[in-house]
Amino acid sequence: MLIDKNKREVSNKEMIQVEGLTKIFHDKKRGKIVAVNNLQFNCQKGQVFGLLGPNGAGKTTTLRILATMILPTKGEIMVNGLDVVRHAAKVRRQIGFLSSETGLYDRFTPRETILFFGRINGMEDKIIKKRTAEIFHNLDMENFQDVRVNKLSTGMKQKLSIARSIIHNPPVLIFDEPTVGLDIITAKTVIEYVKRFRDQGKCIIYSTHIMQEAEKLCDMITIIHQGNLIAQGTLNELKKNSSFDDLEEIFFELIDQGENLE
Amino acid sequence: MSWKNIKLIFTKELVGTIRDKRTIIAMIIIPLIFYPLLFTGIGYFNKVGSMKSEEVTSKIMIYGAEFAPQLVKHLQDYEKIEVITIEDDSPAKLQNGDIQAVLVVPPDFKYKIEREEPIKLILKYDTTEAKSRIAQKRVNQIIEEYKSEIILQRLSRLDLKEEFLTPLILQEENIATAEKMTGSFLALLLPYLIIILIFAGAMHTAVDITAGEKERGTIATLLVSQISRLEIVLGKCFAVMLISFTSMVLGLLGLALAFLSGASIAGGIEGVNFGISINTIFLLFLVLFPLVGLASAVLVMVGIFARNIREASSYITPIYMLTIFLGIISISQGMELTGKMFLVPVLNSSYVFKELLMGKIYWNHIITTFSANIIIAGIALFGATRLFNKEEVLFRS
Repeated sequence: MLIDKNKREVSNKEMIQVEGLTKIFHDKKRGKIVAVNNLQFNCQKGQVFGLLGPNGAGKTTTLRILATMILPTKGEIMVNGLDVVRHAAKVRRQIGFLSSETGLYDRFTPRETILFFGRINGMEDKIIKKRTAEIFHNLDMENFQDVRVNKLSTGMKQKLSIARSIIHNPPVLIFDEPTVGLDIITAKTVIEYVKRFRDQGKCIIYSTHIMQEAEKLCDMITIIHQGNLIAQGTLNELKKNSSFDDLEEIFFELIDQGENLE
Repeated sequence: MSWKNIKLIFTKELVGTIRDKRTIIAMIIIPLIFYPLLFTGIGYFNKVGSMKSEEVTSKIMIYGAEFAPQLVKHLQDYEKIEVITIEDDSPAKLQNGDIQAVLVVPPDFKYKIEREEPIKLILKYDTTEAKSRIAQKRVNQIIEEYKSEIILQRLSRLDLKEEFLTPLILQEENIATAEKMTGSFLALLLPYLIIILIFAGAMHTAVDITAGEKERGTIATLLVSQISRLEIVLGKCFAVMLISFTSMVLGLLGLALAFLSGASIAGGIEGVNFGISINTIFLLFLVLFPLVGLASAVLVMVGIFARNIREASSYITPIYMLTIFLGIISISQGMELTGKMFLVPVLNSSYVFKELLMGKIYWNHIITTFSANIIIAGIALFGATRLFNKEEVLFRS
């Protein structure tokens, strides 16, 4: 394990603290499934925290637990000082969540979508309108703000999804594979926005299985495989501890090691 | 729980549903345009068809015409009957439609008339052919007239008056009020129609905004917002209730229009005097409201449980069949419900509808039905909220 103990000191910059997170599913056919096993990590303000792993590694489960959509079997998870189990409703106010399963309503326009999500996050109409104008301007969405979602391109929809996740100005953004299914131009735009959110001081948890993206974007990288944390550190730290220089090669090496350990 | 949040979900579902073309087709175009057109069409073609067969001259072959010349003359005098007296292979001609009826006169016709004995005439016709049925009616009418003529001759021979044959006259008077007449006319079908329209109206929307949201992957966005699960369920359920109620009203309106337009073309309906009191309407709504709630809550619960729209539809089909079955029981005449059976949802409502339409107000039935349905709807809503909290239900795939 490459966890640097010194880095885990509690500071006021810590937005997410995960200790001993375990999630076990019970499946009628397959029996007990350990989706996430004793995971721990911290994320800070102004940091893009990369969660890397192949499909089925436990990325989505981890992020769903952080987003209060499902409960952990074990472990302590704090978001901005709030426990995700005991203060789920308050935690939801702290996070913006974006994943392949946070779809959009086809029969609404971007403006209506954002108004709805602003309102259900308890915002006042006046503030929603002001923020919507800002966000639409920043994300370059003004020319399609009144077109129904089913008429929008994939890229436009992803912009709207991003806008939706940040309308209530949450300090933490949880992005689960936000570039999946996007063309390279749109993917690049998404990455640019994530960088911008980081510069605004937000804490961003970013899951992906695309190594180049993680290399470019993530300040901190955590690699998980079959529910286990197998490496954690900055890109440079990972490189230092590996015989390879390329994240993809490092990734395969770590996964091989992880499998050999079992 | 905040009503503001419930209203947000309610409005969102309503707007989404109204913007769905399928809803507009199912709720407005089919009942208000398609039904009346269909019935008008059916009425029109029926009328044209029956007018044509009324105009056509019936060809009737008489076998043994020479035995009853007077009867034959009566038949010949009737302008829409053409008498054919040539002997032929009659059944074949009758079957292929060349002639519409065959009348067989026995050889002893004249003899029996004179001896005042009954004479058996045989009329062969094809009941599946409209023209043949008309021929049968015409011949029957003429035979009846001829019979009366013979009876009058016999009476006068015996020096008796025509009144001799009618010693008693029974005059019937219907004392049913307009309200009761309307009620009994409506009570037959209306409860069944109401139940079917409520369920059919709720089904599409209920599935679309629950299982459909799962399928389109929009549910997670709701779950990570500030809105509670209960508020989501209630908002959705209220939206389904309104859609279900509206489509029932539009459905009934469409059927009424269809019935009136169809019937007026086919020859007009006997002036049904529509009289329903305000009280009855109020009580109908009192029974209707929990039924709409029950249907919506149960369908929303099933929709939340299902993985996708297809799965939801297959769960709903048996529920819908059961509803139709309970509705059909209510149509069957003569069955009376006992006290406890008013606890059975759907069945209870249809019986109370029936009673109310007949002008009978049994408060114990109304209260039992109202509370039973409200409680079951409440349980379904509670179940739906519980399901929404179960991660294995929300994220099954």
